[in-house]
Amino acid sequence: MDRQFARQQFLGPDSETIFAAAAIGVVGVGGGGSHVVQQLAHIGFERLLIADPDHVEDTNLNRLVGATWQDVVDATPKVRVADRVIRSVNPKANVTQIHDNWQAAMDALRICNILVGCVDTYRERDELERFARRFLIPYIDLGMDVHKLSSGYAIGGQVVLSMPGQLCLSCMGIINEERLAEEARKYGDVGARPQVIWPNGVLASTAVGLIVQLLAPWHVNAIPSVYLEYDGNTHSVQSSNRLIPLTGSNCVHYPADEVGDPLFSQRASPS
Amino acid sequence: MTLIFRMRSDLAESVRADLRRPHPFAFERVGFICARVAQHSSDGLLILGYGYHTVDDEDYIDDPSVGAMMGSSAIRRALEIAYINKVSMIHVHLHDHKGSPRFSSVDLTESAKFMPNFFHVVAHLPHCAVVLSADRAIGLCWRPGRAKPSYIDEITEVGAPIRISTKR
Repeated sequence: MDRQFARQQFLGPDSETIFAAAAIGVVGVGGGGSHVVQQLAHIGFERLLIADPDHVEDTNLNRLVGATWQDVVDATPKVRVADRVIRSVNPKANVTQIHDNWQAAMDALRICNILVGCVDTYRERDELERFARRFLIPYIDLGMDVHKLSSGYAIGGQVVLSMPGQLCLSCMGIINEERLAEEARKYGDVGARPQVIWPNGVLASTAVGLIVQLLAPWHVNAIPSVYLEYDGNTHSVQSSNRLIPLTGSNCVHYPADEVGDPLFSQRASPS
Repeated sequence: MTLIFRMRSDLAESVRADLRRPHPFAFERVGFICARVAQHSSDGLLILGYGYHTVDDEDYIDDPSVGAMMGSSAIRRALEIAYINKVSMIHVHLHDHKGSPRFSSVDLTESAKFMPNFFHVVAHLPHCAVVLSADRAIGLCWRPGRAKPSYIDEITEVGAPIRISTKR
């Protein structure tokens, strides 16, 4: 085992090989995704596909890991900042930068063994999960928000694992028609949403823990479905109560045979 | 060309459970996974297993020289499934040990005989033969228009844990 990973030997003798071989896609490398890719690089992941259409702005510096003032001046693409962070830790990393909406690179993202979504809208979450289910990719969703209360603010968030064959975001009540319709009605009227670095760090660390547990489990308890809620006011993360009534339930939204490309055809070519 | 085969781990475990059932005379069992296909990157194939079809007891031939010999009816049924559903078919059997399995010489010879038959009913999709072990897998893929199969680069069982077997 490489000395770089000597302190994580408890993850198993093959863990180094597993992390190097697994392809992880991260959609959105802003506040949440920048933490995720940094940790993945430290752990030894070498095949990373990162997608984000945005450039660094001054309002990002309060939370974008790796970004500098010079990146604001240069309007550096966020994927380039993420690539720089990853390679500074792990020069062997094979990073695919998608400086565009993730939908522009769906063919490339299909190879991912795990897909992490750090996106802002329910519509995007829904689309990412549909994509992941069709190509049998476990999808991990991160989200945080700040709500105004009568006395102060509430910081909240969630980390959800949507595993093919198990409960999906719709089963868990995270995505529903009302929410999507409400979001569509307010489209273009989002304004500057409050975002701070430490909740993103908590959520990203939790997501990275799930990724490692899926690939190199260090204990025997399986984690087929995960819905963790973060309460930034009490600084706690706990399993959502919404999972309790769903125990033993099967997903009804994604039938097993709805996989692949229904129009796929490979023309015969000479050997 | 990178070839990837994925299936849910609950499917993989149900396949293993079926293949572990003792047969009245055959030393091992075989079965078929049906799969749909997609392209990935510019030239790679993603083969996505979603269902399993067992081979009935009476569809084996009593041939002590091999672990399991399918009769013509078993192959005919698999061809019917492929034709009706327009899917890729994955012939599967089990070497019940831990670690990476290998194709035996008999596996290679026999699969090369019958796998190309699937192109007669579904010519536009790849078809595969996979050997599962208790925790890993290896596979060969026959692609349209190519006489010789290629080893599948990555076989993933999608669940908790995720198991990734790569071509050695």
